[in-house]
Amino acid sequence: MTFNCFQSETVTIRNRLQGKIAEMESFAGHLEEIFLTVEENFGRQEQHLEQHYNDVLQTLSQRYDERAAGLEEEKKGKLEALYNQLLACGQAMDASKELIETAQEVYRSQDKRLFLKEIDLTLATCLEFNTPLADLSDVKTMMDSINVVPAPSAPVINPQMPNSATQTSLRVCWSLFSDDTVEYYELYYRPVLEDMPADSTLPSPPVIKQRECTSCPEAALIRWESGNTNPVDSYTVELSEMGTDGTESSVTESIVAVPTCQCLIQLQTGRRYLISVRAVNIGGPSVRSEAITVSTTGTFFYLLEDSAHPCLSFSEDGFTIFYGDEELPISAMALGDNTFTRCVAVLGDLIPVRGRHYWEVEVDDGTEFRIGVAYEDTGRNSYLGANNTSWCMRHILTPSRHKYEFLHNGWSPDLRITVNPVRIGVALDYERGTLSFFNVDLEQHLHTFHCHFGNYVHPCFGMDNPGALTVHNGIEAPEYTFI
Amino acid sequence: MDNVSHPFYDTLMALTQVSSNKCAGGFQKVFEHESSELRCKMKFAVYLPPKADTAKCPVMYWLSGLTCTEQNFITKAGSQLPAAEHGIIIVAPDTSPRGCNIEGEDENWDFGTGAGFYVDSTEDPWKTNYRMYSYVTTELPKLINANFPTDPDRMSISGHSMGGHGALICALKNPGKYKAVSAFAPICNPMQCPWGQKAFSGYLGSDRSTWEAYDATVLAAAYSGPQLDILIDQGRDDQFLTASQLLPDNLIAVCSEKKIPVVFRLQPGYDHSYFFIYSFMHDHIKHHAKYLNA
Repeated sequence: MTFNCFQSETVTIRNRLQGKIAEMESFAGHLEEIFLTVEENFGRQEQHLEQHYNDVLQTLSQRYDERAAGLEEEKKGKLEALYNQLLACGQAMDASKELIETAQEVYRSQDKRLFLKEIDLTLATCLEFNTPLADLSDVKTMMDSINVVPAPSAPVINPQMPNSATQTSLRVCWSLFSDDTVEYYELYYRPVLEDMPADSTLPSPPVIKQRECTSCPEAALIRWESGNTNPVDSYTVELSEMGTDGTESSVTESIVAVPTCQCLIQLQTGRRYLISVRAVNIGGPSVRSEAITVSTTGTFFYLLEDSAHPCLSFSEDGFTIFYGDEELPISAMALGDNTFTRCVAVLGDLIPVRGRHYWEVEVDDGTEFRIGVAYEDTGRNSYLGANNTSWCMRHILTPSRHKYEFLHNGWSPDLRITVNPVRIGVALDYERGTLSFFNVDLEQHLHTFHCHFGNYVHPCFGMDNPGALTVHNGIEAPEYTFI
Repeated sequence: MDNVSHPFYDTLMALTQVSSNKCAGGFQKVFEHESSELRCKMKFAVYLPPKADTAKCPVMYWLSGLTCTEQNFITKAGSQLPAAEHGIIIVAPDTSPRGCNIEGEDENWDFGTGAGFYVDSTEDPWKTNYRMYSYVTTELPKLINANFPTDPDRMSISGHSMGGHGALICALKNPGKYKAVSAFAPICNPMQCPWGQKAFSGYLGSDRSTWEAYDATVLAAAYSGPQLDILIDQGRDDQFLTASQLLPDNLIAVCSEKKIPVVFRLQPGYDHSYFFIYSFMHDHIKHHAKYLNA
């Protein structure tokens, strides 16, 4: 291998290198082209983006400006409104200040009526009435036609005077009552046969008024009707004790010369008696009236039905009262002097004997009652317990609970009772001046009034809502009631 | 009871008379003894009516309120005349153990000395001495029945304020033991008032379920036993009523629901003092007499 080999190898290598250079030059040219293209693209994109973002910024800026303008308007509006309100407030305060000052001036001025001078005080309606006077001629006629002369009483024939008779004539004298107006007399006569019994001059027996008799442990009050049209001289009351087996004792006690149709009899406690009455006049005594049985266990009384409020009705035995919830027609409210007109109440008969008395009242849980005692003259237009002539225990039903009051003169102590009494014991002690109330089922003392009773009292019973109430009496007082 | 005689028993039942004054025809006495429940010397007052000279009498236990001793009741309450009239022995113990040297016992007027709250304490340092519940319901009656002419079957209980609370809980926790119960301005619901909460947390601890056994309102809700007839007088102008320490409405509500007979009287113008107690003592003794003498 010589120099020629080297030369040809070198030429080959040189050719190859030249080829490579040409390739590389071409490659570089390509790269440059790519570079230029990319550069162009980027440039274009950059421009595009710049444009785009400029647009966005512009739009944003525009919106912001618009909103700011809107807010500005609104703020302006609000400020104006507030300002106006402030102005109005200020004006109102000024007006008030003026008014107050005027009022103060009026107050300070001597004549406080001065300010009225400016007001028109004339009346809209005329004072005079146009309705003519009533025609009273009918009334006058009615008044003139009343005949006020009452029927006279029976005359009393005087006893026959000595030497006032002949064989064919007889002088009869009689007396009349000074109150009477008499037009004429009618005289009747009939011959009396010798063997005719003389009892035609005897009086008729009286009739005892069962429902007007009361009793208590130490006494009984009996009332009766005369049973005679002719006046009677006196009455004789007869009583006999009844044994426990129902037999009548043979011993009869008599009380003579009783002048009126009632009698208060002293008796022994815890017994039973049979009582009857005879009328007595100059001819002698009548036969016995029908007897009644009187028991001196506990205190016994009937209710005075003529004192009852019209809304009350009674059971047959007279001891249960009902307050119905039907509306009574006004005509049914025909009220006597003695009836309760507002408080739906009734009085029991008077308890006219000093000492201790006890009775019980049965109610149900929902009855609003008033139970106690009252003087005879307690106002019939007033409520039991609301005045100083009555004392009562009152039950009130409220939506949440039961309330109890012990009323006298409208005042009650403040108490709570946890178990509602349905059977109430009432204990009256005239000597000690106490009126006590008990829950009988629990033997629980509820309250005691301390009061000096100046007169005898009546038991009283009332209801404030429809319901019923039963009186139990003639019961011996339990021991705990009079400790 | 009267027959038992043993030297140890005799010591327990031994009484020393501290004072004796004739009063209302009978005798107001004060005695001292060594208490086994309270582990200290205790004084109590006893009123013996004239009837006690010749016959056995029923006994009314009176529990006093905060800060009292056995003296307040016997000098201020006016109990002796009605007790003499109705033939009732009245026993009035002190309101807490004394002289036990417990730390903190004299720091408060409403806890510790003079404020036993009639409970048996379960917490240190009180549980050794502060056992007023057992003292009043067990130890004292035994002592009284052994030393005085009593009818052991006829006992009743009453009290004022904290003592009213004591009377109510003793009656409710011991159905049939007391023939009558009444109270003046009692603490009716101690778990719900500051006084009760302070005392119970100190004596009984923080577990409130243990407090229920000493709260009259809670006990009434769960009461079953012979019928009660509770008389309560409360002054309307009582500052502690206004301060929600007494809470009678809670007790009344429960008793209305459970049908436990109560007559609760709100007395206008009256406060929390012994002047109030004096004014109605006659009515309360009459109430007790009705059941004790039946």
